[in-house]
Amino acid sequence: MRALRRDRGFLVGAAIALLMILVAATAPLLAAAAGQDYTTYHDNLLDSARGGVPLGRLGGISGDHWLGLEPGTGRDLFARVVYGAQVSLGVAVGATILEVLIGLLVGTAAGLGGRWADGILTRLVDLVLALPILVIAISLLAIVPQDWPRPLLLATVIAVLGWGGTARITRGETLTLRTRDYVAAARLSGAGWFRIARREILPGLTAPVLTYAALLLPTNMVVEAGLSFLGVGVRPPTPSWGQMLSTATTWFRADPMYVIIPGGLLFLTLLSFVLVANGLRRALDPRQSEVLR
Amino acid sequence: MRRALTLVLPSLLLLAACDGGGGGGTSATGAFDPATCQGGTLTVLNQGGITHLDPARLYTSGGGNIPSLLFRTLTTRNRQPGEAGAKPAPDLATDLGTPSDGAKTWTYRLRDDVFFEDGTPITSADVKYGIERSFAPELPGGAPYLRDWLQDAASYQGPYKQPEGIKAIETPDDRTIVFKLSKPEGDFPFLATATQFAPVPKAKDKGVGYEAHPISSGPYQVESYEPKKSLVLVRNTHWSSKSDTLRYACPDRIEVTAGLDAAVINQRLVSGAGQDANAATTDAPVGPEQLAQLGTGGPLDKQVARGEFPATYYLAFNTKKAPFDNQKVREALSYAVNRTSVVNALGGSTIVGSSTTFLPPQKALGYQPYDHFPAGDTGDPAKAKQVLAEAGVSNLTIELAHSNSDDSGYGPKVAAAVQEAFKQAGVTVKLTAIDDATYRDVTGKPATEPSASLQYWGADWPSGGPFLIPIFDGRQIITAGGNFNLAQYNDPQVNAEIDAINALTDQSTAQARWGALDTTIGKLALTIPLAHEKDVFLFGKNVKNAVPDGWRGTYDLARISVK
Repeated sequence: MRALRRDRGFLVGAAIALLMILVAATAPLLAAAAGQDYTTYHDNLLDSARGGVPLGRLGGISGDHWLGLEPGTGRDLFARVVYGAQVSLGVAVGATILEVLIGLLVGTAAGLGGRWADGILTRLVDLVLALPILVIAISLLAIVPQDWPRPLLLATVIAVLGWGGTARITRGETLTLRTRDYVAAARLSGAGWFRIARREILPGLTAPVLTYAALLLPTNMVVEAGLSFLGVGVRPPTPSWGQMLSTATTWFRADPMYVIIPGGLLFLTLLSFVLVANGLRRALDPRQSEVLR
Repeated sequence: MRRALTLVLPSLLLLAACDGGGGGGTSATGAFDPATCQGGTLTVLNQGGITHLDPARLYTSGGGNIPSLLFRTLTTRNRQPGEAGAKPAPDLATDLGTPSDGAKTWTYRLRDDVFFEDGTPITSADVKYGIERSFAPELPGGAPYLRDWLQDAASYQGPYKQPEGIKAIETPDDRTIVFKLSKPEGDFPFLATATQFAPVPKAKDKGVGYEAHPISSGPYQVESYEPKKSLVLVRNTHWSSKSDTLRYACPDRIEVTAGLDAAVINQRLVSGAGQDANAATTDAPVGPEQLAQLGTGGPLDKQVARGEFPATYYLAFNTKKAPFDNQKVREALSYAVNRTSVVNALGGSTIVGSSTTFLPPQKALGYQPYDHFPAGDTGDPAKAKQVLAEAGVSNLTIELAHSNSDDSGYGPKVAAAVQEAFKQAGVTVKLTAIDDATYRDVTGKPATEPSASLQYWGADWPSGGPFLIPIFDGRQIITAGGNFNLAQYNDPQVNAEIDAINALTDQSTAQARWGALDTTIGKLALTIPLAHEKDVFLFGKNVKNAVPDGWRGTYDLARISVK
């Protein structure tokens, strides 16, 4: 902990990450504070003859519209960005939690199970790791009924296709931990496998899995953005950063701010999570910290 | 008709639907002389098209853009800017046809100086055979009119199965062809511009394989053709400009590349590097990137053509389903719609204009302005609420179907704009996205037709008939699929008026009555007209005479020059 407190990269990353999470959590309040919502069209503030570019400089940034307007519709960009944070972060966090849960379950089962269980589960993990996530996710998302809650669905699909890494790390760590004396002692004293997994193995997994999860989070954000970019993410009018970037591809010259704002936020958020993950790894893995110091 | 457009884009070479028009190039136009414009290679950069090259399978408006380089038809579009261009002109025939028997019989005489690419003279039998082929189930895709119009031809299966041919088409001699129709059709000279009226020599017909190298009657012939990818055209030496004053045929060679992204095409036309300076497009209208550079006095302003293809974007109600069986509800929503949002969703006021009439604002179609449910530019939610309250309807939730692709003009962006406008009037809209590839199948089958859907309708030819009949003629409700009368509206009086106008051969009289009919039907709010199409297309900096014609709103490849 002390190491973390001295780690400047970690501190900066954590501050930005916390800020983003706070923004996402308080999106309705922030939008209300700005006096805007993410669905109202402001057609009078667009230059229709030029394709619907916002009037005014910097994509229509003004006292009323803090980050300007969405070209083509005139929806308030600030409101859309903060609500978009909800989707982007929510889906990424949800998917990461699910991935960690599935990964822990499968990984410890493989690590503690017999040769057959381990063999089958490990092959399964290999299979999942080999799946082309985007391709399968696109087809899955395209066939499910449209009235299913999209963010939940996105998180589930991403997690179902992406838990392989966590499972593999968990299994590796479990295999090391199960040979430790205290695990042997627990077994000799008559503890069952479930108890051993819960009481003896799980605490030892915290550090590596936490670090891995912190790295998974930005990856999942990218996947969500990618899926939304490709048009199989959340449904309009719900905003997401990936979706904004997708529509921005036709506007990047006419209204650069529309690319810069969601793109910049996505970049910042990803960077902050990577900084946090690196900090955690240095702090939790003594060998790593020695190498780096 | 919309029928045309959907099929066209995929199945022809970009001809029909909407190529953007020219208007630009004023400086070049002044000096342009069709007698000295010959030479050079024109590059055509397109998104889609060239899926088929068989004249039987092409669905074109006015003969199309690329197809009309290869195929001459009995008549063709007049290829002039403005109103003059919305008329047919003789092509293979010596005139627009002679009607008799109250416009139920049309007689054409062919020119003497017209030849196929192998030097064989074109005869009336070749034209007849070309039309008969288009009835073959092996060669689907063409416009449906001939089957409806020709006497006793509805069940004809094409010359492969029924070599005896269509009795309603007579060829008393090599130069004369006579069409017998089941009812009067004053618009026949317009229909005769379709590629189904192109001659096909029976001896060279290879059935479905014919399109690998269709025998040309126009100024160019096929050098190489790879469907959906590329098409190279070279001069047809047996074509003579003396027999064809409408096509200038300036470039020596035309190279078409399809399968490109619209943004890429426009970027290449703007930068004009190398051969791209001699490039044009027939299916990639300008995007926001270029719109922002237009009208600023920059160099791009000289490389743009502005025209209008008659087409309407609209919201269609299924009046067989609640709540749209209630006219008051339809009226209320007509008041609620915000056309400014819709126009912006479609790309802004440069490429679409808002519409309160079903007929787009072209005189040739009989356009008469009306606004039965004045909503202003941005909608009148208060009035809409009031009408709903009078009708005793509250907490209204409706479903609106739209395509999943914005390229169609009835995709998610327009749907979201409508949703937001209706929300202001207290109406909740649930959006249903339908895959673009099956959108027409789902909405065009009364059994699966949604209660409300976004639609687009373009003119097969500039006249009120093809614009209004499929939408409002009660006898055109097709239960098997391919239905466009989405309101499922059937009023004997309207049907009778349609028949009466069809019998007119005087276009200006017909126009006035089509316009009046549109105004009358508009009062029922069977549709909410949203916007009409404008066509803004770029062309390379060396391209001259890119002038849009009044028929298709786009510049004509047969008349542009790269010399």
